[in-house]
Parts: sequence; structure tokens; C-alpha cells
Amino acid sequence: MIDDRDKLIAEAVEKGLQGDMDTINGIEDRVIRSKAKAALHKAKKVAKESGTGIEDSKEETASPVDENQSPNQIVFAYLEKKIPGSVIVQEGDLEECIYVNPSSWEAVSKLLRNDEILQFDSLQCITGIDIGEGILESRYNFHSMSLRHTIEIRIPVSIDNPKIYSIEQIWRIGDWFEREVYDMVGIIFEGHRNLKRMLLPDDWEGFPLRKDYETQQTYHGIAIPKVKEEWE
Amino acid sequence: MGVLEHKFQDNIVVEKLDKLLGWARSTSPWYFQFGLACCAIEMMATAASRHDLERIGMMPRSSPRQADIMIVAGTVTMKMALRVKKLYEQMADPKYVIAMGSCATSGGPYWQHGYHVLKGVDLVVPVDVYVPGCPPRPEALIEGLLKLQEKIQKQRPLTKIDS
Ligand code: SF4
Repeated sequence: MIDDRDKLIAEAVEKGLQGDMDTINGIEDRVIRSKAKAALHKAKKVAKESGTGIEDSKEETASPVDENQSPNQIVFAYLEKKIPGSVIVQEGDLEECIYVNPSSWEAVSKLLRNDEILQFDSLQCITGIDIGEGILESRYNFHSMSLRHTIEIRIPVSIDNPKIYSIEQIWRIGDWFEREVYDMVGIIFEGHRNLKRMLLPDDWEGFPLRKDYETQQTYHGIAIPKVKEEWE
Repeated sequence: MGVLEHKFQDNIVVEKLDKLLGWARSTSPWYFQFGLACCAIEMMATAASRHDLERIGMMPRSSPRQADIMIVAGTVTMKMALRVKKLYEQMADPKYVIAMGSCATSGGPYWQHGYHVLKGVDLVVPVDVYVPGCPPRPEALIEGLLKLQEKIQKQRPLTKIDS
């Protein structure tokens, strides 16, 4: 079974390198398809680096209407080119999102907003997640109303120093989104002009959506019972 | 009414002042219009034309200063708990509280994992009537209100109680 899968992927990549994307897009299983796409991407990169350069001249013009590429792949390649090192490459993830390095987020966010080819003029949502193992993640969903493409950006930070550049002044809607993420998982958005709690009271202790969160015992003298069996 | 009965003309009623006050209070308990969560929808439905709270003399007031009853309809979060208390303190005596729905009585669905939900509004203000349900139907709320009216009628505000 696994042999079959690997063979299928290898074949699809081979075809893809020759410019035939139909084989890959025709794979029915979603997991295998994304694996094949990731493998193809890698193969193309290897080919590019070693100078064989198979049909990569297309990317120089970086046309966003290339039907065979998902917006993620286009944006990924574009970011790699414009700001080297800004993207964290994780195999197989490109189908769903792009991981961005926190240190390059300032430059990347401005590029996403203002670039002619990207034009992500609408920030739809920011989600804060405690992934566990000491990693917090901030996830951004962007949409371009003029070009009608959508991507998801993820930025992982360490729980010990959870600081991310604030995009509050680039997309104004981000103001409340970032405050909520701060409120719930405690990511600090640097440069936010009004970073205070959104839903919880200002004097609340801790960040409730973190995995190690402990509810406080009382709030202004009102009990918040933890063990509730014998509680009256 | 003993000796005084039938001594006056037809349109004069003789009654104890205590009872008269009880009757007056219980038949016009204006309630403080403030809803917190889903239960508030049911409270609005109770006040609307089908169930029509004004039948029993209740109408919503938008200020705690003019209200006699506070219907705590919904989930009371910790942030809101302090404010509920403040609003209660702003009401003029005599004042009554109805805890409507399981959230206001005990924390309801948030009993186990709601880190920020007050486990019963009786932790911050004294409650007269609890109405169970999630949400209680308008009939249930009306029953609670009638129970409260009974309670008000039994009170003797002018009688000195020796204890
Ligand atoms: S008791 Fe049920 S209906 Fe009422 S506020 Fe709570 S969750 Fe909503």
C-alpha cells in the first residue's frame, strides 16, 4: 500500500516537472495529493538550485492566475524571492498555510498588504493557539478583495518570550483581534497602541487558553470553586 | 373588617394599612430591564404581547432607580458580577431579585469548566425566587413572578416584629 503511494507520488512529480500538472491534480486522496505537491515543490527547488532550471522562468513574471498553483504556493515562492529566509519551510504544509519567521513578520506583513501581486487588503481573522510543548501560534487569514485569493499565515513563537510584531496599524481591524489573542493566550504584540485585555477584566490573572492555565481561587472576594463536589 | 365594615358608603373599602401596602407593592412590581445572555430572550418573550407581563402590573424600567425587581436573566460572568452588585445597590428599597435560569442560580452549563462564570448570582446579591430551566419558558418565569407577588403580599412593612 505504502509502496503504491510512493510510486504514485513519484510518477506525479515526474510528470509535474515536465509541466503536466493534471496528474497531480487528478489524485483523488487529499493527503497524497498534498504530499505530491510538496514533493514537486521540493524537486523544482532542487532543480533550480542545481541550475537545471526546468520551466521556472514562468515564476519571474509571477503571474497569480497560474491555475495549477494554489495561492499558497505562489505567495510562498514570491516571499522566498523578495525576503529570503522569511518563510519556514515545512513539508506538506503548503497546502494549507505558510509558516513565517517572527523576525521577518514586519517586512512580510507590509509586503502582503502593499505588493501589486499580493494585495491582501482584508484581514479576516487572527487566531491564537497554544500548540503545547512551549509553542504559541498566531494564525492570520488574509483575503484579497481585488485579486480574490486567500491564504493563511502562521507564526510560531516560544512561550517564554511570546512577542510578535503588531499589524494593528497595517490592517486596522487587527486592533481587536490582537487584543483578544493577547487576552486569551498571552501573545504580546509589539507596537500595538492599546494592548489591554478585551473580554476578561483588566485585573484577571493568567491567560485562560494556555494549556497550563490554573483558574484563580477568588476574584474580588468572590469564590471561584475548583473542587465542586462539596461546594454549597 | 369587624366593626367598621359596612359603616361607610359603597365605594369605601376598609383594610389594614400593612395589607394595603402589600397589595399595592405586589401588583405593580416594575422590573429592571437588563438581560445578560440567552435567558434574556425568553424574558423579552414573556414581556411581549403573547404572555404580556403588564397583565400582572409589571413593566420594564431602564433605570435601577425606578425598579423594584431585578430579573437576573442569563450568565453572570465575573466581570459582570461586580456590576450586578453595583446595580442592585442602586435600586431603592424595597427591592427583590429573581434568578432566572440555571446560569443565574448555579452557573448552569458553565458549572464545571467556566473559569470566568459566577456560580450563582446569590454569591453577590440576595435572591428571593429561583426559576430553574435553561432557559425557563415564559410560563415558568410568570410562575416565579407570581410566587414573588405572594411573598410580597405576606410582608408586613409597618408591623413591628419583636424578636
Ligand atoms: S440558563 Fe441556559 S438559556 Fe439561560 S443564560 Fe444560561 S445557558 Fe442561556
